[in-house]
Amino acid sequence: MNWPLGMLSLVMASMVVAVGGAANAGEPTLAEEAAFRAAVGQVAGAVVRIEPVAGATVTGAAGEEAGVASGPSTGLVVDPAGLVVATTFAVPETAREAVVVLADGRRVAAKPLGRDVPRGIVLLKTDPIPAAPAIEPVPRDLLAPGQWTIAVGRGWSATEPSVSVGILSAVDRGWGLAVQTDAAVSPMNYGGPLIDIAGRVIGVVAPLPAEPAKMMRGTELYDAGIGFAVPLEDLLAVLPRLAAGESLASGILGISYRSRDAINGAPVIASVRQGSPAARAGLRPGDRIVAVDGRPVRRIADARHAVAPRHAGDVIDVEVDRGRGDEATRVTARPALAAALPPWRRAILGVVVAADDEDDDEPTRIEWVMPGGAADRAGVTAGCRVASLVPLDGASVDGDVVETPSNAALAGALAGLEPGGKVRLGLRRGDDVTATDVVLEEMIREVPDEVPPPSAGGGVGGGVDAVRVARLGGADVAVPPLAVIPAGRSPVPVLIWFGSPHGAVDEAEATAWKGAAAAAGVAVILPGSRDRREWSGDDIGGVARAIESLHALRPLDASRVAVAGRGPGGVFAWLVADRLGTACRGVAVCDAPLPRRFEIDDAEPGTAKWMLLGGSRDDDAARRLLADRDRLARAGHAVGTLADLGDGGPPAALLCRWAAVLGLL
Amino acid sequence: MIPCRAMVFVGALLVARAVGAATESSPQLVAATAAHSVVKIYGAGGLRGLEAYQSGIILSPDGRIATAMSTVLDSEGIDCVLDDGRRFEATLLGVDPRRELAVLTIDAADLPAAVPAEERAAAGTRVLAVSNMFGVAVGDERASVQRGVIASVVPLEARRGAADAPYTGTVYVLDFTTNNPGSPGGAIVDSRGRLLGMIGKELRSSAGGIWLNYALPVDELLAGSEAIVAGRSVAVAAADTTPFDLGLLGIVLVPDLLDRTPPFVEAVVPGSTGARAGLAADDLLIAVGGRAVGSRAAAERAVGAIPAGDPLRLSVIRKGKVVDCELGPRPTVAEGRAPQGAAP
Repeated sequence: MNWPLGMLSLVMASMVVAVGGAANAGEPTLAEEAAFRAAVGQVAGAVVRIEPVAGATVTGAAGEEAGVASGPSTGLVVDPAGLVVATTFAVPETAREAVVVLADGRRVAAKPLGRDVPRGIVLLKTDPIPAAPAIEPVPRDLLAPGQWTIAVGRGWSATEPSVSVGILSAVDRGWGLAVQTDAAVSPMNYGGPLIDIAGRVIGVVAPLPAEPAKMMRGTELYDAGIGFAVPLEDLLAVLPRLAAGESLASGILGISYRSRDAINGAPVIASVRQGSPAARAGLRPGDRIVAVDGRPVRRIADARHAVAPRHAGDVIDVEVDRGRGDEATRVTARPALAAALPPWRRAILGVVVAADDEDDDEPTRIEWVMPGGAADRAGVTAGCRVASLVPLDGASVDGDVVETPSNAALAGALAGLEPGGKVRLGLRRGDDVTATDVVLEEMIREVPDEVPPPSAGGGVGGGVDAVRVARLGGADVAVPPLAVIPAGRSPVPVLIWFGSPHGAVDEAEATAWKGAAAAAGVAVILPGSRDRREWSGDDIGGVARAIESLHALRPLDASRVAVAGRGPGGVFAWLVADRLGTACRGVAVCDAPLPRRFEIDDAEPGTAKWMLLGGSRDDDAARRLLADRDRLARAGHAVGTLADLGDGGPPAALLCRWAAVLGLL
Repeated sequence: MIPCRAMVFVGALLVARAVGAATESSPQLVAATAAHSVVKIYGAGGLRGLEAYQSGIILSPDGRIATAMSTVLDSEGIDCVLDDGRRFEATLLGVDPRRELAVLTIDAADLPAAVPAEERAAAGTRVLAVSNMFGVAVGDERASVQRGVIASVVPLEARRGAADAPYTGTVYVLDFTTNNPGSPGGAIVDSRGRLLGMIGKELRSSAGGIWLNYALPVDELLAGSEAIVAGRSVAVAAADTTPFDLGLLGIVLVPDLLDRTPPFVEAVVPGSTGARAGLAADDLLIAVGGRAVGSRAAAERAVGAIPAGDPLRLSVIRKGKVVDCELGPRPTVAEGRAPQGAAP
């Protein structure tokens, strides 16, 4: 007999193993297989199928929304009294009922009780399921990457549990909301348990929750060796609240940090949002967080890891160091996290401060005091420095002081206060420090007639003759913008104007801006359009480059960058403002309605914009203008008026004055 | 169990099984052994960007090879490359369009045929997949080996594009990705190196909408190949997918305005079949004949799929409880129209 080589080796190997006896379970491969089956057997009775029920309404988009199941999914019985955990994917917010198929194939109706919104988990109530075994959670601190994980589901078959095997890939994902596995995970086993080799439940399989999922929908990750599960321990901790019908939202603290490095930066608070849990708990700008709920915090990421898994309504312990160096005292605040913050109301002193000088550690210097404004009425004059700011709101009259060595610190302190609130400023002039009380006022909407003189920043005025016009960008720039640059070396505000698109901008157009730029001390960028008929996406990238090129010629004040335009140029200005993000502090447009479906972020400290809107060529345009004003104002932005000169020339004087006071504090 | 007549393909291997192939081997040995009986198949392709290669399993020492029925086989010359690098031109013996299975034959002897498993495997069984995935095994290089477990053993409910998959029998759903170019026709083997199934062609689950990783169980594979060898033609029965208007039973559903309109009952005609079965306005239809329906359109398709004359059972949610309603034999459309004078 002529044995093929392959068969021969198989037979020989088989014979060798056979000699060893029938102890198959002693062989690693089969022993593991037996362990998988035993583990699945431990939980199988608690795993049920969830069938999709289309939305509760017969109109609208319910049931058509993205990321909602159209097929069977899985659930886990966490209490035989009839409590079943499933995912938002299987039972979306719109669903008023769900169908659970028990292991014996029986269908029972289920009602959604509560939800864990950030984790995408819903708790369902059915009639008691006495056959379901008790499940045992794995403590989170015993989880380690590399350990066996088995995902059990009923999506494929209601009566036979499906099994997919992998390892734990990571124990911390989505800022602590989930663990990660390489076991095969798909919508069919979402809601089912991810178990360890002993049959204990690590978590509930779910699409990647929260923030990272925005980049890539969790449901698109199946078959990619990447799946997620919400730790069961975390769900059991909130089970009573879910059973009581609570919808648990992410918890917001309401602080921002001074550091721009959101991971490794020092956890020093820049601003405490007015009306936020942090404000009510007494946290202050300048506080350095050292621990949250007893977990040490050394950098911003530590604080985020500690807060992100918590829900609105949870009370957390925040320990901070307050004050400088050796004089710092340890303070513990106990904020109750909120689901949302009340709209921010911007409060101002009515001053413009000098741009930060990174070379000195001197406090912020007041460059200009708005005539008739809050600071002016209190007798504050230009030239002094703001050494400290004490809110006098009753709660903090005990002498605690927010020190303001920088503009950001002063802005951060003001961000937490409301219009009408009183503050005591420690103003330094030479070696004298005087205390001045100021009642904060609401952010102004219209551009004041009088603005800081161009010399206020230490720049040399010099009038129109000292203003130069330069073409920005190198030979590789298709349509180089023109820049109108006032004389001097101190940082100046920047205004970018988009007129009607007509290709490159000529010198005559730039000359028309000279007077206004000189009077207000504002640099103006006039970009050209690549296409002679329209502004296009290709022109957007050139704007950021133009700002950089200008900065090489003349120091700019990053807190005062604004875009403006008329007609098609105004519509384009909205898009540019969106692209510039927080770098852009103002948008002024004429005859340029908000583009349809344009997203407006709510005004928050650091992102709030000052907007000027104008134009109303016909009734329809007037109606849209009113609607836009209303929408922007409701989002909390300051909205004023841009009067159209009507003669075709740009409203240069108004816009330059506006840019000069954009950084109003 | 595999039908006895299927054993003719593997007669030469009965000896091997008798000696004790039913014992575990190391994964390395299993992989090496299984790879011997997997061939790389090269044929037509390029059309609409489809690949021109796939995998096959040696069924008998004298050159019968099972593979997936596909456009790769629409070719003058189909080449099979054995694991030792020998290349043979293959002849297409026949196809089973229901199982999407084809049998090729090559002029060779003493080939390392696969050893079929005698029983169906259960969910959780550890398996290896051996296939010409992505066509990366060049020249005399052997097919690629992957590992995983059988996730589920279920009837196939799948679609390719808009059409239902012709095969609706049992498949092994796998917990790893075999839905790759070149993988169809590859082997799934257990920890003892026994052939459990053949990797199937690209399909999407019609239940979950996801791409499937699945294999045709070896008993189906052998039954299909035997029929092909015996020259028996295999007809594909077309399933009736005509939606059935529940209005013919006096059950008026809410207007179908959405992609997935929830199948709420708007009204029930007094005295109709629906009324006699106890259906009522506001009931939410969730299953037809035990099969879940998530929308009005799915409900009407599901009723249409029940052969006329077979019992029709509708499950609804009413006031938070699941209620089953028996409507008796499903009428034909003509019958439905006749007696229901009051149908809307």
